[in-house]
Amino acid sequence: MENPNAIELQHISKKFKIYSDKGWGLKERILFKDRNRYEERVVLNDLSFCVKKGESIGIIGKNGCGKSTTLKLLAKIIYPNKGTVSMHGRVSSLIELGAGFHPDLSGKENIYTNASIFGLSKREISSRLEKIIEFSEIEEFIDNPVRTYSSGMYMRLAFSVAINVDADILLIDEILAVGDLGFQQKCMEKLKEIKSEGTTIVIVSHSLGQIEQICDRTIWLENGNIREDGICRDVHMHYQQEIEQKSFQYSEKSTNRNVQIIVPSFYDPKAVSWGNKKIYFTDVILRNEIGKECSTYSTGSRIEILLKYKSLIKNLNVNFGIAIYRSDGIHCFGTHMVIEKNITATVSDQGIASVIIEKLELLSGIYYIDVGMISETNEVYEEIKNVKQFKLICDKQRQGICNLDTKWIVDGKIY
Amino acid sequence: MIIKDIYNYREMIVSLVRKDLRGRYKGSVLGFLWTFVNPLLQLIVYSIVFSIIVKMGIDNFSMFLFVALVPWIFFSSCITSGSTVILQQQDLVKKIFFPREVLPVAYVTSSFINMLFSFIVIFVAIIVTNHGINPAALLFLPLIMLIEYILALGFSFVASAITVYFRDLEHILNNLSMAWMYLTPILYTQEMVPEQYKPLFNLNPMTPIIIAYRDILFYKRIPSLNTLIGASITGVVSLILGFILFNKLKKGFAEEM
Repeated sequence: MENPNAIELQHISKKFKIYSDKGWGLKERILFKDRNRYEERVVLNDLSFCVKKGESIGIIGKNGCGKSTTLKLLAKIIYPNKGTVSMHGRVSSLIELGAGFHPDLSGKENIYTNASIFGLSKREISSRLEKIIEFSEIEEFIDNPVRTYSSGMYMRLAFSVAINVDADILLIDEILAVGDLGFQQKCMEKLKEIKSEGTTIVIVSHSLGQIEQICDRTIWLENGNIREDGICRDVHMHYQQEIEQKSFQYSEKSTNRNVQIIVPSFYDPKAVSWGNKKIYFTDVILRNEIGKECSTYSTGSRIEILLKYKSLIKNLNVNFGIAIYRSDGIHCFGTHMVIEKNITATVSDQGIASVIIEKLELLSGIYYIDVGMISETNEVYEEIKNVKQFKLICDKQRQGICNLDTKWIVDGKIY
Repeated sequence: MIIKDIYNYREMIVSLVRKDLRGRYKGSVLGFLWTFVNPLLQLIVYSIVFSIIVKMGIDNFSMFLFVALVPWIFFSSCITSGSTVILQQQDLVKKIFFPREVLPVAYVTSSFINMLFSFIVIFVAIIVTNHGINPAALLFLPLIMLIEYILALGFSFVASAITVYFRDLEHILNNLSMAWMYLTPILYTQEMVPEQYKPLFNLNPMTPIIIAYRDILFYKRIPSLNTLIGASITGVVSLILGFILFNKLKKGFAEEM
């Protein structure tokens, strides 16, 4: 039987030797034996996990938790002290982009050099050349030397090569900060496409949003082992919750204030909040079409999300946002003012914002609302995940997530 | 398995070789012509020194020396400059997976191609000086070149891998290669070696190779079977040992740099 796993890590331990003052040479080795004292730092400690073929996972954790080390082990750049790493399929790592780029060679020549480092033959590269150039959006400059490129163009070209390698397993390290927003979006779309073709993807990132867009599962590493392994959204929530608590404790210590964490009464029991709270929510209310607070709606009806806030700073520019998730973690809808109106709102010290969805075209199920307030520069004032729960009932037994109108015509007859 | 990996990365080898050959004389006026000018100038210097100043008692000494010196330069660059190939590409080694063997293979190959260009100069010199060629002996030239390539590859596997862990090796090898040159019958014939030291000289893996080159090009005769077998065995053994050692040490490359 074929192995259903693409990646298997079994009881991996990895130690690094940290030399306080390493002597490389003969003299140092003989004369200053003491200087070669080193500390051993355990980075990974008996770590085991599997990734199924076609599955995408994200790896998160604080700096130094071992996530980059894990990725390097998967890429076979370093090897474990104990345990085994098995990879089934061709591996491509997007750990370093533009490796081996030569500034004096043209973009096209560099495509060949760079792709050859991923183990492609000349014929394979030539057959992908068109796709790579097209994806990079720098057709007009492709024959110019790479040193004349802007850093954005450089990264776009590098990313295009790496993403077109056609691997079975793709390893990605924190690299989706490539180019402008439009290109980033394109990269995400491309990754989704690659995923739908059955490629196994492992992403290490601090951007939880990116992981949620692509991955099925998140592994949260702490002190070289798995702290939590599960559905992205759940793991991310707990992760953010912990970061929030840590920073709270920190600010408590540093200012010696006696801050108590009070869970606001309007929160759903599953709610998690974080942000710097320069401006914060005081209440979130869901109302139906007659303006009454309500937690059960029917498909196609109107819902109003009322956001009450208090601000510590006057005349803050705030971008309000909302998102709707189904109880199984599927992101059904999300938007914010900048997407919709291309502007932020300037708020006073307290007030009410209201988001009205005229027709809630989602099917039956339990849903959660996320709300958020961020600055123009994406500084998070407050975000609350799962702040409210509501139930939707659709009178028809339609399947899926969203409610679409259909017409049925069979052999010319309208039914 | 590893050999298949290396084969899959052949385009990387080709591109590294191309980059190395192109980059070697980059920015200079003569550019690629230096590949020919360098050996030619050496030949001229040796001709002047050894035909006018130092009399060695060997007819046509500059040619005698030159046909041995060109292969030696190839070998010595493989163990001296070749020892740093991994360190020089540490950005790649630390960040990307590829069979690490690719780096020494590419370096040895580009030095080998450089030697081939020098051989063009040798042949031009042979024709110009009317030295003459034995076509039957010449058939053995590709064979001995292949054997030297294999030997050089084995040594550069060892040198490049150990240098990562022990940086002094680069400088030790620079000095060692100079001593090694004088201990190889390049400036003299093997017959000049005192009888009691001959067994020691025969341990030198480069001795049979240099003798074979000289047999083919200078004495215009087919190298003896003993020489060829000796050269082949040392070549293959050094390659296998080098490969095994490299394979052991390569796992720690990324951490040691």
